[in-house]
Amino acid sequence: MATDFWASSHNKRWIIDRASLKQARSEDLRYVESPEHVDFLNIYFANLIAMLGKRLTLRQRVIATATVFFRRFYVKNLYCETDPFIVIAACCYVAAKAEESPVHIKNVVSESRLMFSQEGYGVKNFPSDNSKLAEMEFYLVSDLECDLVVFHPYRTLLTLCGREAAHAVVSEAGEVGVGIDNGPRYWGTGEGRLELEEGPLQTAWHVIPPPPSTLHSTLLRPKTDQIRALNRFIINDTYRSELCLLYPPHMIAIAAIYLTLVLNDKTREAIQAQTASSTPTPTPRRSSRTNTSSVHRKLAAAPQQQQDFVGFMAGLRVSLPTVAMIAQEILSLYTLWERYSDAAPESGLGQSAVGDTAGDDVVTPAFLTQLLLRMREARLADLAHPASAQPMAVNKRLERTQAAG
Amino acid sequence: MDAVEKANAERQRRWVKDQKVGEGTYAVVYRGRELATGRKIAIKKIKVGQFKDGLDMSAVREVKYLRELQHPNIIELLDVFSSKTNLNLVLEFLDTDLEMIIKDRSLVFLPADIKSWMAMTFRGLEFCHRNFILHRDLKPNNLLIASDGQLKIADFGLARDAADPGYKMTCQVITRWYRPPELLFGCRYYSTAVDIWSVGCIFAELMLRIPYLPGESDMDQLKTIFRALGTPTDEEWPGHTKLPDYVSVGQFPRTPLRDLFTAASGDTLNLLSKCIIFEPRKRISARDALYHPYFFALPYPTHPSKLPKTAAQTAAASRPPDEVDGNVDPGGGAPAGVGKAAPPKKLKRKLSGHDLSRNIARKLDFTAS
Ligand SMILES: Nc1ncnc2c1ncn2[C@@H]1O[C@H](COP(=O)(O)OP(=O)(O)O)[C@@H](O)[C@H]1O
Ligand SMILES: [Mg+2]
Repeated sequence: MATDFWASSHNKRWIIDRASLKQARSEDLRYVESPEHVDFLNIYFANLIAMLGKRLTLRQRVIATATVFFRRFYVKNLYCETDPFIVIAACCYVAAKAEESPVHIKNVVSESRLMFSQEGYGVKNFPSDNSKLAEMEFYLVSDLECDLVVFHPYRTLLTLCGREAAHAVVSEAGEVGVGIDNGPRYWGTGEGRLELEEGPLQTAWHVIPPPPSTLHSTLLRPKTDQIRALNRFIINDTYRSELCLLYPPHMIAIAAIYLTLVLNDKTREAIQAQTASSTPTPTPRRSSRTNTSSVHRKLAAAPQQQQDFVGFMAGLRVSLPTVAMIAQEILSLYTLWERYSDAAPESGLGQSAVGDTAGDDVVTPAFLTQLLLRMREARLADLAHPASAQPMAVNKRLERTQAAG
Repeated sequence: MDAVEKANAERQRRWVKDQKVGEGTYAVVYRGRELATGRKIAIKKIKVGQFKDGLDMSAVREVKYLRELQHPNIIELLDVFSSKTNLNLVLEFLDTDLEMIIKDRSLVFLPADIKSWMAMTFRGLEFCHRNFILHRDLKPNNLLIASDGQLKIADFGLARDAADPGYKMTCQVITRWYRPPELLFGCRYYSTAVDIWSVGCIFAELMLRIPYLPGESDMDQLKTIFRALGTPTDEEWPGHTKLPDYVSVGQFPRTPLRDLFTAASGDTLNLLSKCIIFEPRKRISARDALYHPYFFALPYPTHPSKLPKTAAQTAAASRPPDEVDGNVDPGGGAPAGVGKAAPPKKLKRKLSGHDLSRNIARKLDFTAS
């Protein structure tokens, strides 16, 4: 199903409006202290899918599909009433089948157990029994209403940026479709392609898998600022948010190109200078702050600087305000992500401390696992005593933040 | 019951399941009807078993493609719903398939009839290929016929996206008699041309009324093909001797198609020959086939409603709709021992009740903790 996005189940049933998405998360929001905790959970779970996917040697596209399945499942389900870890495993398992690279159920179970039981995640009870995962697969496929074809931004990006420019990087990811030139794609004619150098293209689309050593350290060791900067390729990053439920993939691709062009040269220089100079003990928060704000400045200044780029965007005949909105959302994802750390926590330290810090501090996987458990317990209490069911108190911090501005 | 379960139950209630009509590799097929209209449907219940190994790959492929593909010549998936531990696909009911029609000796095929079936097959296939989907199991048995005569490509259990160049696919696909030589030689990088070969074999079978290339083993299949079409030279099919499972099965001379298909027109044989060209890249595409002079020459294709019908089809068509549907009262009248047509009330109870076969709940089971 490579061509007709408009006729697809993706377009017809799985692009939802913001209000429905908000509604889907409203119950979960009652059990968190700050709404951004739910956004952190969104990042956390997408990271887990990516990491499990890499352990299972799934291609990037399969990982992306698994993530979309996960998002769709939680349009209909609550974090606080389900076990997201087994849902994650099921998403990887089904996506692998749906994308024609099946993995054995046993492998999925054992890799999931291995990964989730790592100290940083603190998930102790992942079932060892294949049948549990198979059963979750059934609920997942039911809730997905058997819609297993997912469109991704990659192809649009490839086509918009031109085959030549893209080819070198693309072939490694195996994303070139048979007959990619055979007729128009759903977003348009491919006329007036944008010429991109390889550098920015990689920013918009991370296709070169990091070498095994990097991969290893990315997965298992604290991320250094450098790896962080290198791995932050926009399209893959968008899966950390719920954008894939809100916008057609080609719009996300165009927003990624937009951001890439905006972020190009100066910003990249700045990033490079930063990572070069701050290698020993990087302070992720501060350095990336600088990034983000310079990005914001650049974004504001962009239209005047990039004349041909404006012409290109206009030629696409898509809603530019929407593109800008998606781009803004990607940037706010980054802002949030700066405060997320999947560094392996030093035994026991941190988790409890982070639990009661102000919204500004670094959030870790262990904290988020604990958060999920607390949400679950509170939900259980509410369901056990429906009469007295009250939104969990708190939200003081939220009120304070809001009062502050 | 939460909103999701409610929506599912509502969908489920739209359909009534009657008696079993067949059993496939991963599913049991029932006849049924739409409660509101009495329209005939088929319910394909995918066996999940005791959740041992997860969903069968064929089931995944079938639902994946049927959910996306809407075309008059592709079987229509009307709905999906889940019951206890089963996924149910609601399909349009199709009375018969091309295999039964071919085998029905009482039927006489006119060239215009064959042209009509071929046109519908190519139209459905062109739609698949346009979407880069390979069917990989085309045979008369998988071309189903609706009561109005429309031909529908069914059984997407082996279908897959045409892979990226350089991405290996299995060559263990397509029922042997309809399998092209490149797959028999173990080719792992193939294209939409594999389906075209199958259509060529079906085309020939419609004229001969017996399978055209019925090999008894994979090796014999190659011999059967080369006996009919001559052993390919390296010029005809460059590089085929380098394919992974290449074996020499002997030299057979080329005999003109005309010798076997004595009554066929020149256009007919021209199109047939283009479907069964050895070199896959030279085989005609589904799109080009639709523009082939064969389809524009006299006689014009028979209107689907006027195509030869099996006795069963004729019987079904002559009865009024509610009699066809058995007019089963959704509480009582289901045939003995079948009784699957549960009343809505019962369905409801079943769904909300606790089901012991569930090991984990879709939702966390708070009663247990
Ligand atoms: N849409 C349908 N309408 C009527 N009968 C059907 C339909 N689909 C399947 N059947 C019946 O159920 C049997 C099994 O179908 P299927 O699961 O496709 O078989 P297989 O997996 O062996 O190809 C078919 O032989 C046919 O008799
Ligand atoms: Mg079949």
